[in-house]
Amino acid sequence: MAKKPQRRSDPRGKQCPFCDKQVAYIDYKDYPAIKPFIDYFGNIMKRYYTGVCLRHQKMLKNSTERARFMGMMAYRK
Amino acid sequence: MILLPILLQDLPTNLMPELTEDITEEDTRVYEFCFLYPCTLSQKEESEFLKEIEKIIEETGAKQVSKDLWGKRGLAYRIKGHDEGNYVVYHYEMKPRAIIDIDTPLRITPNVLRHIVVKPPKGYEVTNFSEGFVQWLKDRENAVDEKKKEKEEKLAKRVAEKAKRQVKRVAAKKEEEVAADKPKTDKKQISDELDKLISDDDLDL
Repeated sequence: MAKKPQRRSDPRGKQCPFCDKQVAYIDYKDYPAIKPFIDYFGNIMKRYYTGVCLRHQKMLKNSTERARFMGMMAYRK
Repeated sequence: MILLPILLQDLPTNLMPELTEDITEEDTRVYEFCFLYPCTLSQKEESEFLKEIEKIIEETGAKQVSKDLWGKRGLAYRIKGHDEGNYVVYHYEMKPRAIIDIDTPLRITPNVLRHIVVKPPKGYEVTNFSEGFVQWLKDRENAVDEKKKEKEEKLAKRVAEKAKRQVKRVAAKKEEEVAADKPKTDKKQISDELDKLISDDDLDL
């Protein structure tokens, strides 16, 4: 049987969007910067899908939790 | 197993984590304070509230580096019955040990819905994110509007095309009818002519 052509690009081949801009610190007050990495339900998206490196994922988690506490971001939609 | 009675005096009075780094008394650091307070306060109350906070922080000998009023902003979830709130961001240069003394009074002060103290990383530049947020909101609205416009334009185009097609169809139908009518007359003529021919006496069949 012939192999089906892959519809989506391979998630493993993604580059870290924060590393491209050489981000040293993700601010919890910078809502537009964090927003793309939060899914519809308010969860932080998996590294596998966004391509964020581990270092920046940890920063992202920190800033997201701070933003949630301050009422800038929802815990759950 | 023997349960040892724990006296209240034995418990640590300060439950905040102790600083383990070697910090001298003269060391100072920049700290970031963010406060969320209700937007229902009047102007006088608001200024009083801000003064109160600044007084609490500055009592420890802190120096203000920056102050940023964000203004009214919607909250992601309801906090103590408020759907909207005001944000203030301060940057203070102060002794690290003083944070412990500040935290409890800040928690007790009325009208503070949420407060957070953050140690910014090295090389942190104070930036105003509220303007960026407002701009971002506008951009998003514009994007939504543009999408709506595009949709409407597409719809209008489709409607116009449909109308054109219908007009064409009607025209084609009319033509067909006209075309259908013509042969009828032709048939009559032909039949008449045929009759004439047949009725001709000169014909020798």
